Amino acid sequence: MNFYECNLHSIPDGSDSASRLALAAKRLGYSGIIITNHATTGWPFGVDGAKLVGGIEVSFGVEIVAKDQRALHDKAASLRDGSDFIAVHGGDDKINRAACEDPNVDLLAHPHEGRSGIGVAAAKAARENQVAIALDLGPLIRLRGGSRVRWMEVVRRDLNLIEKFDLDLMISTGARSHLDLRSPRDLVALAALLGLERERAFEALALPKEILDLNRRRWASAGVEIL
Amino acid sequence: MRSWLPVLRDRRRYIAFEVEAEGRVGRGEVVGEIRAAQASLFGDDGAAKNRLRVVSFDGRFGLVRCSHTRTEEVRALLATVQSIGGTRAAIRVRGISGTIKAGTEKYIPQSILQPDENKRRVDLGPVSGSVARVIGREIDLCPDDRKMTEGSGTRYVGLTSFDLCGEDIDADGTSDGL
Repeated sequence: MNFYECNLHSIPDGSDSASRLALAAKRLGYSGIIITNHATTGWPFGVDGAKLVGGIEVSFGVEIVAKDQRALHDKAASLRDGSDFIAVHGGDDKINRAACEDPNVDLLAHPHEGRSGIGVAAAKAARENQVAIALDLGPLIRLRGGSRVRWMEVVRRDLNLIEKFDLDLMISTGARSHLDLRSPRDLVALAALLGLERERAFEALALPKEILDLNRRRWASAGVEIL
Repeated sequence: MRSWLPVLRDRRRYIAFEVEAEGRVGRGEVVGEIRAAQASLFGDDGAAKNRLRVVSFDGRFGLVRCSHTRTEEVRALLATVQSIGGTRAAIRVRGISGTIKAGTEKYIPQSILQPDENKRRVDLGPVSGSVARVIGREIDLCPDDRKMTEGSGTRYVGLTSFDLCGEDIDADGTSDGL
């Protein structure tokens, strides 16, 4: 299967260049990565270098950081035409909900940062607008003790919601360095701790590729393609 | 537990791993970090079920033993290690096998010279590895794939600078002295 890591941060967001992340991901068994630097920090460094790395597809997307719903919708609409992949910097209840309500958004990244989650209303909206929810396993790797327990509680609850509404799911680490990356099988094993089935986890790792392919076709309007 | 019925013997799996770190890490630190990760993730109850032991660690590659039903859990707990002895690091699982012998032979490189970041790399399609030494135009290469030297009984693959000419910028250093 084509496994993709969908939410990476390179220089100036993270501490690795895009090509270093690509090499590390290739060694771990990914067939592609999507680098989504925060829209506020600027364009990634070393885009040309990343294209020279063979055997792995390096795509560049963007992660929108917005203060309120309105700013989010504006930014998503203006970035849609120029980007292969649009993620939203989640973690706040209002922003999570607004991202799910925006059909221009591909991925709601780390919605469980802090103590917020998705909630029923946002889950319904995400189903309607085909917004994928990221299961960001970074906190499971990074945190210890009480804070990790609370994070796992929230994520377990939301995974139930995701199953119930059959939402699109992607698995990521939100890595900022090659040492934050984990191989696809490691991520599946980590997701299993949260109660996610193996097949579903593998599907979630392959989903970014499908979304990228869809975004790269030229759409005149919703459902109308220019051939 | 010496004389135990063979049918009741506990079954094991050996997980070969590689430590990727920013600095040197010792065996004790790795063992401590894995134990801490296990205690934090599974507690005493889960730890008893995992039956985890670090069998060997040579500074880069290592082998842990666990119960045969708990390999996914051990994979997860190795993935939660993010620093070792204060150095940023990650543990990569290389493979799982049923015996120490098979795990070592299949997943842990046995050459004296391990593919090391300080060595010059050569990548020529079918032949790839790290340069062990250069004598004039002759180059001894430590191959990534151990099967390349099977049958000849040698440790290195012999190349010359002519093989590398113009092939790859990674191989530039090997033409010094020409």
